[in-house]
Amino acid sequence: MRTQRLLTSPGLRPFWLVLMLIVLWDLLIRLFKIPPYLIPNPLSVAKQLVAEWPMLLRETLPTLYATLGGFALSALIGVPIAMWIAYSRVVESFVYPLLVFSQSVPKVAIAPLFVVWFGFGIVPKVIAAFLLGFFPVVVATVQGFKSVEGDVIDLARSMGANPFKIFLKFRLPHALPSIFSGLKVSVTLAVVGAVVGEFVGSNSGLGYVLQKANGTFDLPLMFAALVILSMIGVLLFLVLELIERWLMPWHASQRHDLAATA
Amino acid sequence: MQRRDLVKLAAAAVLATSLATPALAQGRDKVILMLNWYTYSEHAPFYLGKDKGFFDAEGIDLDIQEGRGSAVTVQAVAAGSATFGYADVPTMIKAAAKGAPVKAVGVALQTSAMSVMGFSDKNIKTPKDIVGKTVAMTPGDSMSQIWPLFLKKTGLQETQFKTVSGDAQTKLNAVINGQADLLLGYVMDQNIKLQDATHKPVTPIRFADYGVNMISSGIIASKDTLATKADMVKRFMRAATRSLEEAEKNPEAAVAATLKAQPKSGQPDTMLTGLKLTTALYHTDETKSLRPFRVSMKTVNESLDLLVQYGGMDPATRGKPEDWVTLDYLP
Repeated sequence: MRTQRLLTSPGLRPFWLVLMLIVLWDLLIRLFKIPPYLIPNPLSVAKQLVAEWPMLLRETLPTLYATLGGFALSALIGVPIAMWIAYSRVVESFVYPLLVFSQSVPKVAIAPLFVVWFGFGIVPKVIAAFLLGFFPVVVATVQGFKSVEGDVIDLARSMGANPFKIFLKFRLPHALPSIFSGLKVSVTLAVVGAVVGEFVGSNSGLGYVLQKANGTFDLPLMFAALVILSMIGVLLFLVLELIERWLMPWHASQRHDLAATA
Repeated sequence: MQRRDLVKLAAAAVLATSLATPALAQGRDKVILMLNWYTYSEHAPFYLGKDKGFFDAEGIDLDIQEGRGSAVTVQAVAAGSATFGYADVPTMIKAAAKGAPVKAVGVALQTSAMSVMGFSDKNIKTPKDIVGKTVAMTPGDSMSQIWPLFLKKTGLQETQFKTVSGDAQTKLNAVINGQADLLLGYVMDQNIKLQDATHKPVTPIRFADYGVNMISSGIIASKDTLATKADMVKRFMRAATRSLEEAEKNPEAAVAATLKAQPKSGQPDTMLTGLKLTTALYHTDETKSLRPFRVSMKTVNESLDLLVQYGGMDPATRGKPEDWVTLDYLP
């Protein structure tokens, strides 16, 4: 009974799916005889992951720092800009199209210039992560602040609440779910941005490992690095989800446990 | 009435041509040659051969595709997306050692084009001058792998200079903008690109001059193609050999043909310099009297030694030169 509950517990469900996918991966390779120089099998990736673990862990840190740096910038700059856009139609008409325009510029194409402008340190990676992570934060936050119903604000105002109080008690709580969905998208994109930055010019980081493994046809090592990159994305996503739960336990999306028992 | 007839006639004509085209192309082989990189001087012989009709004369309909690194080209040939590849042969050997069913059918560059280069005004002429400087390189590429041997042969220590790593473009940008003094590059490639961008002279220090020699670009094909289309491979290599010979004799025409096909691929004068630097690598002392692509197996053997020692090749998979390179399809 207990083991059965353990097997079907919600926390473990993704792991079963991952396990199934790994089995499928291995099966497809065997079935279609896909050669290891095109796609490595899961076992060789796992072996490489274990064998190169100290090196991979060491190279994970620079990538993690760049990701966190880029994400922090995305949140610190993205949210205020989005609030500004949401509050003023003039700002919206000026700034929003420009943001969309900037988002359509392929970052991979301009990333080499970041190295020229900012050197080989962590700065160009943080900027690449920021540029990829920034937009979803802005879009989601704008939407969040705009979705507050006018009647609610009118009511609050009629009861004598000052603008600051209206913001704190009504607008912000109303926008938080959207902001967090933007942040969650942003953090996974920041990982991609950091690696793009490392690909272009770097002496360390998982992007550097990827490049090196590619040159020596060490596909298992390459996939091992990709696994770690995905894990970074998943972990940061989970951290944000925990913060979200802690900040707004009242929100409908957090009530699933209640619904399950009801 | 008349108009309808005209429409019918036009339809018939379209039908006729669409039927006739495959008929004309029958007996001709459609061949894709994938290069190792975007077009630069080194590739001029193939554009010349196509322009002069050498491939046509062998019944080959040649389509030259630009590449994005030798590794990708090797994978494309192994997977059958390209018929032939013009790629770094040591890179191909590393892939083949990991199971890719590919083989080199001729080695064009038999002397290494690898070098470490910087602008001439920096006065870096010998390995000793590298001390205290910054060198830009691409992690995992063949030059950065062989670099430790160059250091050993020249008595340099890793600690005597600084290193920055980046992709192919970053390497060039770093030297152009002064973030690095030198880069690891090929004498006919990065050398020319630096000059095109800045109009400043560049001084390369060749690895080969310090006893570090490795074979470089060659033509590769999948083992399947070699087994099932031997005749087509022979015809292709005959045309390719003529193309290289013609480019040696007439580099100006080769550059003109390249710029006609790929107008954005370079400047005529520097491309000519690059091509001359390329053709100079077509022969070693041993193969001086032979036609292009006919590499000496002794040279290949030496490269295999280097691959095991510095290229991360598993000694168990080393094999003989003949396992990786065959000259059976050459004229």
